[in-house]
Amino acid sequence: MSALTIILDSVVKFEKAVQEIGVHRKLENLVVTLLVMRMFSGFLGALRSCADLRDATAGFRIITLILGAVSLTATAATPESLIGDERAVKEHFAQDKIQTLSAAQVIKHGKMLFNAKFTALDGAGRPAATSSEVPVKKDPGISLAMFRTAGPDSNACAGCHNQPGSGGAGEFVVNVFASSGVTNVDFDTLEPQFSNERGTPHLHGSGLVELLAREMSAQLQVIRANAVEQARTSKQSVTAKLVAKGIDFGELIIGADGFIDISKIQGVDHDLIVRPFSQKGVFTSLRQFTINAMNAHHGIQSNERWGKQWTHSNDFDEDGYSNEISSGDLTAISVYQASIQTPVQILSQDNVLKQAALEGEQLFKSTDCTACHTQYLPLKSLVFAEPGPYNNAGNLRQSDGQPIYQYPLSSEGLSQDAQGNWLIPIFSDLKRHVIADSDKPHFANERLSQRFIAIDEFMSAKLWGVGSTAPFGHRGDVSTLMEVILHHGGEATDSRVKFEALSDLERRKIVEFLKSLQLTTAQESN
Amino acid sequence: MKIQKYLLCSALLVAANQGMAVQAPQMQEETDSSGIQHQYTGGWEYFVGGGVAVFDCNNDQYPDLYFAGGAAPAALYINQSTLGQALKFNKNLVSSLALEAVTGAYPLDIDNDGILDLAVLRVGENILFKGLGNCQFENANKEWGFDGGSAWTTAFAATWESDNSKPSLAFGNYVDRSLPGSPFGTCHDTDFYRPDGAGKYSLNTPLSPGYCSLSLLFTDWNRSGTPSLKIANDRQYYRGEGQEQLWKIPAGTAPSRYTAKEGWQRQRIWGMGIAAADLTGDGKPDYYVTSMADNKLSTLASADGTPNFKDIARVRGVTAHRPFVGSSVLPSTGWHAQFEDVNNDSFSDLFVVKGNVEAMSDFALLDPNNLFLGTPQGKFIESAETANLLSLHRGRGGSLVDLNLDGLLDVVVVNREQNAQLWRNLGAGSNNKSAAMGNWLGLKIVQPEGNNRNAIGAFIEVRVADRTQSREITVGGGHAGDKAHWHHFGIGVAERAVARVQWPDGKWSPWIRLFANQHARISRDKSTADTWLPFASAKKLAEQ
Repeated sequence: MSALTIILDSVVKFEKAVQEIGVHRKLENLVVTLLVMRMFSGFLGALRSCADLRDATAGFRIITLILGAVSLTATAATPESLIGDERAVKEHFAQDKIQTLSAAQVIKHGKMLFNAKFTALDGAGRPAATSSEVPVKKDPGISLAMFRTAGPDSNACAGCHNQPGSGGAGEFVVNVFASSGVTNVDFDTLEPQFSNERGTPHLHGSGLVELLAREMSAQLQVIRANAVEQARTSKQSVTAKLVAKGIDFGELIIGADGFIDISKIQGVDHDLIVRPFSQKGVFTSLRQFTINAMNAHHGIQSNERWGKQWTHSNDFDEDGYSNEISSGDLTAISVYQASIQTPVQILSQDNVLKQAALEGEQLFKSTDCTACHTQYLPLKSLVFAEPGPYNNAGNLRQSDGQPIYQYPLSSEGLSQDAQGNWLIPIFSDLKRHVIADSDKPHFANERLSQRFIAIDEFMSAKLWGVGSTAPFGHRGDVSTLMEVILHHGGEATDSRVKFEALSDLERRKIVEFLKSLQLTTAQESN
Repeated sequence: MKIQKYLLCSALLVAANQGMAVQAPQMQEETDSSGIQHQYTGGWEYFVGGGVAVFDCNNDQYPDLYFAGGAAPAALYINQSTLGQALKFNKNLVSSLALEAVTGAYPLDIDNDGILDLAVLRVGENILFKGLGNCQFENANKEWGFDGGSAWTTAFAATWESDNSKPSLAFGNYVDRSLPGSPFGTCHDTDFYRPDGAGKYSLNTPLSPGYCSLSLLFTDWNRSGTPSLKIANDRQYYRGEGQEQLWKIPAGTAPSRYTAKEGWQRQRIWGMGIAAADLTGDGKPDYYVTSMADNKLSTLASADGTPNFKDIARVRGVTAHRPFVGSSVLPSTGWHAQFEDVNNDSFSDLFVVKGNVEAMSDFALLDPNNLFLGTPQGKFIESAETANLLSLHRGRGGSLVDLNLDGLLDVVVVNREQNAQLWRNLGAGSNNKSAAMGNWLGLKIVQPEGNNRNAIGAFIEVRVADRTQSREITVGGGHAGDKAHWHHFGIGVAERAVARVQWPDGKWSPWIRLFANQHARISRDKSTADTWLPFASAKKLAEQ
């Protein structure tokens, strides 16, 4: 529970006490409480509070409330209801207390945040800021509270991630416009060279996805480190193959002077961090993506990115609220997403369809679809540490001195190999590939190169759950699995050609197999 | 009740402002444990000078330090630090650089062999040392046809003009002690050397009149493509028309001073050191010039390309006119100045080394160095004390440089008659343990073939979202010393950035894609950067 929560809860408690002795009328109670809430919302909030004190007695009320709140802080224990409270988030977690909470408490809080329809009283909205992942002020002028393109474009995470349940995917109507959030974003968002329209992916099994990426990053970086050391010691050029979990990411050429030629790296960023999230594979962690999305979609700004350390402001978006989401909250919502159950294969009760799916799985392999949609990636450890090891400034880092929350992900439904690795049925190699060409240009339907990645290049879609997440493609504009397979070009050409060479029945068996990869709406694992 | 109301409002505003304090890095002084034992000493000729040249002389990418010693021998210290760890140096006892009468030094690659050379400024003959590799140097005055003269030299700058095989060199001289009436009104000219067709420095053009210069900088102040020579002059000794100067240096023709008719406005200060950075975002350098109480921050005011600058030191909060601690209200004396980003928040900070000339009672005797942290709003906030960087020694030269390659700029200060000081930047850490602040980039800009290997005169642009940081690559400025090392850029919360270079010939590189927290080399012949890892990180990772 954060200090702010304690104080507000104390105010509530004190207000109830005041009510009981009849000092305030109920309406005054609400007004004064809101004033206090503003008062704790940063510089502008402070100014507004002062401006709202139009009569002398109001000032006295505030002082009384503060003193009362302080006096009750020591004894405040359980949050109590506040009449007329329209905040969606009534409690914030403090990162430095997170280890004292049970996994159930953390996940419950994270789920609450994921499903919360944020309100202005939570700090939703960003009248002075853009959707950019770094602090960028918006051009002055009229600012819409909600804006379907430039954002904020949704009230809740679950507003889009909701099929078949919270944490799931979304259909075309909940597509988003991913832009770089430049100053005049309001006008540019619908211009294709500044914005890409994207579908809403599901988050099931995303904890395992992040863990796989972390282990792959570590593996690649050790390869690099060893090669650099070898080059410096031998004073000769060294070429190192970059292979992690069996996936080939090209090679590095280290000169005798220790400088590294990165031009032969394939499918991964040249800092060798496997970024497993988004359809381009450009986000490192659930936390990083959540911080971005909270700002872009809801106007909820995290101090980790927009706080005074970086912006010299407690209220960068100038909505009158600060501390809109705490580091503890972000840990909770990251752990919640990480905990969402792993997709499963559900075979039809109909034996004909069941048999077709099983045969389709073999055909899926024989056509080399698994060259990129790798069925299993091995994972050493199921312990999800939040924050993770590859966050950069702007996201809580392990080096920031805050507690690291350890959460063991569920092994339910996972098998192990002979070395004890967990086999994660992700159907992806977590690598980017060129997926379009002049013969099959559909997937090259964007014009904005996102985060250095060419427009014809995407991370191999994680096909687990694909049977539950129509429509398909990064834009969600392909309604059937058959169509989306036939749109594959570029590096996938050989597999597509093999697919096209199959009989119609065989192709439909592959579709039947893909349909069996489903999301479930069971309770969160563990 | 009204009083209560106003008290409450005031308290809230104060609390809100306190909450907006910019985060200072934590500096840990490691002078005693670093192995640096060096003072800048001597009589009147050494009241000024006292610079440090920062450069890598053994190709391990860690910066080494060459300290001016004044009357005592100069000293080269070899960096033994490892990634992110304590600062460690060994003195190079057999160095040919251990000369007396050295006031300062500037590293640059004069002969285009990829090894940094050293211009050593002295009271007496200046010497150009050719770098041989592995921290070995030889006197190259004869080989390069350079006459080091006998003046009291206190400033230096270099630029590559057109396709010359060697850089043009400017040596700023202080008082001409041989003239009648010295020292007042007897300032020495600045010596300007151009290489001849054979690459010899046979062409010395005096830039006259000289006004007792203490810092020089070749800089393309209006982005015309041709740098001018900016000179900070000490009004203590000049008389008559003495003032700050800006010289036109058209390639191949005689230099000439910018005049009032051309828009130049006379400014008379005790000019000591020059720092440059683009603070206004217009792509043009702004200049901080240290002085005695009236430090100036100049930004180009004209829109027509004339050299009309206005002072914005007060509005930006960097007047630094008196000590920020202690009870003294006497004016300060500023020397070395340098813009860098010490907390990696992507906003330029400013370090000013200070110290009484000797015992000038009209000026503060205890005069702490300033560390101004830049803010997104453009103002600077004095933070030396918060950063544990407080020093009351008589500072002269200095440098902000990443000595242990952890992405956090450390601090070197040369003191008069007291030991030079080193602080390790622990960032957000404390008690010997560093912790990262914002994201950063360390860039090396090279032209692999031909002249001017380190692209002196180029401009680097680093862009994040819709904000661009611009920096000119120069040799000169500061007070009697400079660094030739990784170009450090803080990029705040951005995990990637793009950079491009406008090469000295005016051509632009493509935008180069860079990920945060890496050292990278941008070469003129490549469209991708080559990255570089500190050695220790390789070992550490491999052991994991």
